[in-house]
Amino acid sequence: MSQPKTQKILIVNQSAPYSSGNAKESLDLALAAGTFEQDVSILFTGDACYQLLTSQKPNEIDSKNLNQMLKVLPIYGVDKLFVDEQSLLDRNIQYIDDDIKVTKISASESRELYQNATTVFRF
Amino acid sequence: MVFSILVLGAPFNSQSAYSAFRFVKAVLESDHTIYRVFFYQDGIHNSSAIATPPQDEFDLYQGWQDLQANHALDFVTCIAAAARRGLLNENEAQRHNKDNSNMAKEFDLSGLGQLVEATALSDQVITFGQ
Repeated sequence: MSQPKTQKILIVNQSAPYSSGNAKESLDLALAAGTFEQDVSILFTGDACYQLLTSQKPNEIDSKNLNQMLKVLPIYGVDKLFVDEQSLLDRNIQYIDDDIKVTKISASESRELYQNATTVFRF
Repeated sequence: MVFSILVLGAPFNSQSAYSAFRFVKAVLESDHTIYRVFFYQDGIHNSSAIATPPQDEFDLYQGWQDLQANHALDFVTCIAAAARRGLLNENEAQRHNKDNSNMAKEFDLSGLGQLVEATALSDQVITFGQ
């Protein structure tokens, strides 16, 4: 077995927060990868933008608030969060709470993220 | 080349599980190797011990079990994804006070760290599903 090396892992999140298990299970993977000291980036694109809205009240549908998980990601060493600017514009999302440290990026910057990653996981 | 495989789709429900199976077989028939097959999300259903497809259809569940037994492959099913979808081995069934277990013995239950480790120790991780 060769020596484990740090991987640049890109987790691409394209799903709305509660319509499927994708949002939760992608964050679980991000936390695991962060715990194992991998270089993790998360890209939110498409309906995944809705995961970033802090005004959601998922307790009304008996779901856990994924925002809380997003806020603690930096503690696990996952502090590179990106959101596709065009996806926000398409959904008229103009404001993201400062508690969630996410950087808006263009389509060409997204492509760079993909190019720089050693492994990409899509959810 | 060393491959690890991530299976996210359930048999029958999607083609991805069968495609993953065919890919693993193709790797084994080549000069390449499989480091680990990791079953996550709905992919955990591939490790069911009790799923029973009609007799005139290909039994993918048995296919995976035979592949593991014949090649001593490392098949890991995500423990959290499996428990919330109702798939437990004997240990987990006891731990959660359930009457029955339903997971094939060819699969090990473990955490997402096993997928992260596989990513670090393989040349390529190929995802099937999503």
